[in-house]
Amino acid sequence: MVRRISQMAKLLIGVWMAGVIFAMFLIIPQYEGLGDAGRIIIMHVPTAWVSVLAFAVSAFYSGMYLWRRRPSDDDRAVAAAECGFLFTVLATVTGAIFSQVVWGIYWNWDPRQTSIFVLLLIYAAFFALRAAIDPMERRRRLGAVYSLFAFVTVPFLVFIAPRLADSTLHPNCAFLPGSQCDGIVLSEGRIGLLGDRKIRLLALNQQGDIITAAVEVSEPGLTSSAILEPTFSLAEGRSLDEPHFPAVRFRLALEQVDLTTGNVRLNMHAPGTGTIDNPRTFFTFMASNLGFTMLFVWMLQMRSTLLGVSWKLEEREGALI
Amino acid sequence: MPFPLPMLFSAAWSVFVKDLLSELRTRYALNAMLLFAASTAVAVSLGAQFLGTRRDDETFLLQSALLWIALLFAALNGLSRSFVQEEETRTALALRLAAPPIAVYLGKLLFNLVLLLMLDVVTSLLFIIFVRVQVDNIGLFITLLAAGSLCLTTATTILAAIIARASFKSALFAVVAFPLLMPPLIIVIQGTALALAGAPWADGLMHLRTLLSYAVATFVASLLLFGFVWEA
Repeated sequence: MVRRISQMAKLLIGVWMAGVIFAMFLIIPQYEGLGDAGRIIIMHVPTAWVSVLAFAVSAFYSGMYLWRRRPSDDDRAVAAAECGFLFTVLATVTGAIFSQVVWGIYWNWDPRQTSIFVLLLIYAAFFALRAAIDPMERRRRLGAVYSLFAFVTVPFLVFIAPRLADSTLHPNCAFLPGSQCDGIVLSEGRIGLLGDRKIRLLALNQQGDIITAAVEVSEPGLTSSAILEPTFSLAEGRSLDEPHFPAVRFRLALEQVDLTTGNVRLNMHAPGTGTIDNPRTFFTFMASNLGFTMLFVWMLQMRSTLLGVSWKLEEREGALI
Repeated sequence: MPFPLPMLFSAAWSVFVKDLLSELRTRYALNAMLLFAASTAVAVSLGAQFLGTRRDDETFLLQSALLWIALLFAALNGLSRSFVQEEETRTALALRLAAPPIAVYLGKLLFNLVLLLMLDVVTSLLFIIFVRVQVDNIGLFITLLAAGSLCLTTATTILAAIIARASFKSALFAVVAFPLLMPPLIIVIQGTALALAGAPWADGLMHLRTLLSYAVATFVASLLLFGFVWEA
């Protein structure tokens, strides 16, 4: 009976993932401005989610091993780390490809890139450590301690990495409904950062109901700059013309104008902003998350069983010799 | 806990004194660390003489990053010594019988901290002399050095105990420690750059808070986990 159910579950995961891939390429609409490159999000975000989930699962089973001393818990911890490593690599590679296509840069050390890089290093260190310890019992125990200890330090990255650079290429506001980018408030002559671009508000011009802002945008590294002129309609209370940042597909928008104080709110708009509101994209995205999570659970189960069997065989061979 | 606290602390203190005495006899870790720091400072000073003459935000970051690179790798050379030596001279078993695990941990932690503070003094003096680093807020600089060193010790002491039981000890120590040390290193490098620039205390407070919370978190986790390592 259990076998039957697990067989069914395996088939279901296969069909489910096939459906997600089908929907990813054929059903969801193109991201406005991103072209077909935008479709990679359906793969990229779930793999990143699973790589973090796997890290937590590995730490959990490490703790269980230290508590109950059951080798099967350690097998699960190792299996979770191995799957997690695989998914971390996938998330890194898909992210870098997307970043190159859309923003013209493979790697930028933005907060999430930093954290995922550290995660890769931790997984690698975990495997290196286990490989360097021979007695099985000791390997399991020290590996479990390392996994738990690493789990304590990682949350600090979440607070610290965003301070590393003022830049992030991850447009939270674009893909997750409910979250928002606030942009920055500037008055004439002041400078600020939007993403990794330094911007300076040069002047505000009013023509009837239309406010035009002259904004100087400097490239990262201040190698070159350009002047963009986003506009805002006082009558309608919304931004009108949103020029593109030079060489990238983000747009600069004038979101609010306060004529009494002379302050304006400038923000970056990512292509695809609001596409998750589109139900087809949203459901495909969620289905992909669920599919990758199920895939992870299945891989975890398979790999840990395999590890358990191979230890048993090794033990038996050792006993025969 | 089977041992009352005063006994635990006196046991920890004896472990610390024992380590200090045996280190002063051989000076293995101390020499390795100090020579490493000295050669880094001299190499930086020879290779990048312009660093001492410029004073802008980027130079401050460069100076503080170089200082912490020297400190980090010197520390990774020396901090595993106290546990590795116990395994190499086969005294670990005796130590297991003589003192409770927590006392061993606390003693070694204190020893590593003292070692690292000595390294801090020498390395920063070398940087001030050779690289001509000018420190404008000395109090903040010293506090950040101490806090950063505290983070390095609380995070690496238990790792040293782990790798002492493995093969390829010294190479493994760096591999295992580096990813866990990334968060405090990022913070302390930024904070030290502020101190070099002469920023007021209020600006460095956030850095100090983060460093201290990291130190507390790793210290508590080590206390909980050390027993498993020591008995493995």
